[in-house]
Amino acid sequence: MEVKRLYKHFDSPAGALEVFRDFSLKLPDKKISVILGPSGCGKTTLLNIAAGFIPPDAGGIKQVPRRLSYLFQEPRLLPWRTVARNISIVIERHIPDKQKRSEAVSRYLELVGLDSFGGHYPHELSGGMRQRASIARAFACPSEMLLMDEPFQALDLDLRLSLVGTFTRLWEEEPKTTVFVTHDIQEALMIADVITVLSRRPAQVLDSFTVDIPRSERSLDDPALTSVEQQVVSLLLKRE
Amino acid sequence: MKGFTGFARIPKWTVVLLSSAVLIGIWWIASFFVSDIILPPPGRVLSDFTQFLAQRSFWLSLQATFFRGIESFLISLIIGTAVGIASGSIAAVEALFRPLLSVIKATPVLAVILLAFIWFQTGTVPIFAAVLMAFPVVTQNVMIGVKEIPKELVEMGKVYRFSPKQQFFHITLPSITPFLISGGRSALGLTWKVVVAAEVLTVPRHGIGSGLQFAQINLETSRVLAWTLTAILLSALSELLFDLLSRLIQPYKRKRGAHGS
Repeated sequence: MEVKRLYKHFDSPAGALEVFRDFSLKLPDKKISVILGPSGCGKTTLLNIAAGFIPPDAGGIKQVPRRLSYLFQEPRLLPWRTVARNISIVIERHIPDKQKRSEAVSRYLELVGLDSFGGHYPHELSGGMRQRASIARAFACPSEMLLMDEPFQALDLDLRLSLVGTFTRLWEEEPKTTVFVTHDIQEALMIADVITVLSRRPAQVLDSFTVDIPRSERSLDDPALTSVEQQVVSLLLKRE
Repeated sequence: MKGFTGFARIPKWTVVLLSSAVLIGIWWIASFFVSDIILPPPGRVLSDFTQFLAQRSFWLSLQATFFRGIESFLISLIIGTAVGIASGSIAAVEALFRPLLSVIKATPVLAVILLAFIWFQTGTVPIFAAVLMAFPVVTQNVMIGVKEIPKELVEMGKVYRFSPKQQFFHITLPSITPFLISGGRSALGLTWKVVVAAEVLTVPRHGIGSGLQFAQINLETSRVLAWTLTAILLSALSELLFDLLSRLIQPYKRKRGAHGS
């Protein structure tokens, strides 16, 4: 994915809110790129432009594949369909055969640990389980790119860690170009191949870091990670 | 406050039963003081009603009114949903229909019935009048429903490339279903009232309204009330069926914001 000379502003009662001014960024294929930045710097806007929800003022984002998956802050499941149906709907056109489709649904439900909850409605599940279901949906859909907008933020710490674990396991099995925006440095360190740090509005790239340690071997007290963490923190603080 | 909470603890159906008994009691006592033409006692009305049940003409009337009502209701539902979805999604369509809907809302039911009687044959009048009065109710509700379709789910559907058909059946329709049900319920209640009123004025061969009209001409007040009871029962029964239906088509408990956190 490549962002080229992007301009975007929003009109607000307080005047024009300039989110991107001549913003460019190149992200690698088949890797997890984490975009880290202060709240309100335009991370979600970037994803929404990539997904085509909102148009840019000028410039744009190139090499966005047609087929996308998106993990939102909320699970965004259809409340009137069962968990299994929520997943099967997005693969209906890709797997026309009913039998094969339901096998695929079961497989992904099992991968996120929801094997016995396919027949439940979303409101019968806990928040963490609903987000698991949305992860299953994102991976079941044969997309070439995955957009993530702080999907673990609304959860408790232990739940968050277990969900991050589920996510990385699934991702290693089926790697796809992933853009993950967050303001949580530790989450970034555990998940990212590349971390790009953005400034406040209008967003500029401050610096970027590559994390080479395999995800399964990472721990937050690893000196290599803490050194990246310190550099990121000082970058963000300098700009406050 | 103590007395109030004590009152609130009485089961609801007991209160309903009690208040019904009081109303009937007042009716019964009042009937002693006036002639049967002004107000017959409840027992008379009930016996007239049970006599009805043995008469073929009663069942024909009930059947005629029932089918007029159902036909009107289905037409209202179809027109109301179509106009509601269109006005909810396109501002220009809403503007186009707004004057018409405002005029209909402000028009007295009887004016519509009388005009329809000038324009159409007897059999068409109740249906035309009922549709004209009831479809705006459906439209209004569906329009609000369409405007309240969760934007989050629409975006989700866009990302996962829902086809127009999937978008309609998995997002639009389920979102507006609660509004469709509440609009449909009000529309059906209104439909029965308008159909019976139109029958009173146009006097088709069979119909609850025709029965009311004949009984009134003959000053058979207890029969007027027995026909009224028939109309009330018809309306209550359809309400009950509506409840059953709505529970049947919404097996999920739709909690507020269930698509969210």
